[in-house]
Amino acid sequence: MPLRLLLIFLAAMAWLPGSVRAAEPEKIWSGIVIARNVAQPEPTPAELRPLQKTLHHLFGYNQFKLIGQASKKLNKGDEDWMASSKYFSLHVDSKGVTNSTYLLNLQLFQEKKVLLETEARLSKSSPLVIKGPQIGDGVLVLLLMVQ
Amino acid sequence: MFMKTFEEKWTAWVDGELSGAELSEFEAALPDKAQAEVEKRDAHKLGVFLKEQLAATPLGNEDFFNHQLRQRIAAEAPTAGARGRETAPRPGWSLGRLVWVGATSLAIFAVCAIFIMREQGPADQSQYLSQILNARVDPAANPNASVSVFQAKDEKATVIWLDGLKTLPPEYASK
Repeated sequence: MPLRLLLIFLAAMAWLPGSVRAAEPEKIWSGIVIARNVAQPEPTPAELRPLQKTLHHLFGYNQFKLIGQASKKLNKGDEDWMASSKYFSLHVDSKGVTNSTYLLNLQLFQEKKVLLETEARLSKSSPLVIKGPQIGDGVLVLLLMVQ
Repeated sequence: MFMKTFEEKWTAWVDGELSGAELSEFEAALPDKAQAEVEKRDAHKLGVFLKEQLAATPLGNEDFFNHQLRQRIAAEAPTAGARGRETAPRPGWSLGRLVWVGATSLAIFAVCAIFIMREQGPADQSQYLSQILNARVDPAANPNASVSVFQAKDEKATVIWLDGLKTLPPEYASK
């Protein structure tokens, strides 16, 4: 009887939403992508597959090539990191966690020049997509998501 | 049947339990019957005296004595229990009891968590979507730039759309 009771409550604990359980450190992934339409598109990188449908709907391109990426596991919530390609870099400065969202300061650099500065709340269930400048026949796209 | 000893026959004779041939045979075997009769009478007298003196004397105030006894037993019971524990130490909690306490604690926690969650109510939709608090493009470098923010709700993505930026040559697409 006690064992049965214990199993019932373990099942109840498993049912409880993640917010009630102890928070585990999460990883934020940031990527720099070039979206283009090409005759023979390369396969979408694994990191972009969760967003493939979203990117296709938003931009209409058939190829998304990853030219820079970085990810950071947030233990304290106040870490910063940078994803870089040859000409662009995205600096992410985490300012803390509130209600399961991360307060982030973002800076997009084109070489040493700041193209965009923004402050955002990144939610676990909602990726952040930034459409940047036109590059040749494609477009620069920046992505942030909680993994 | 087995033969009675002289002492057994003597006791039976004193108690008047011998009869018939056995009585005649025993009395004939007595060396001095008169002396034996004297001893028999003395034994009877002693028996009567003892019966009179040792008869159970009825207790008066039996309720008082009962009460005293019960109090004594009650006072000694915990002491005896403590002594028992000292002599045979037992582990603090049994496994079953630990399981019960653990399950009860989990139950209390689960109930509290559910009530707290209900008080908070359903989370605001904005809590599930990323939000842009502010966005700025350097107007000196890109005077025609504009920033628009929207949410592609079907995909749950939040989008910052920059327009009017200078178009860059294809080599900017390199890794």
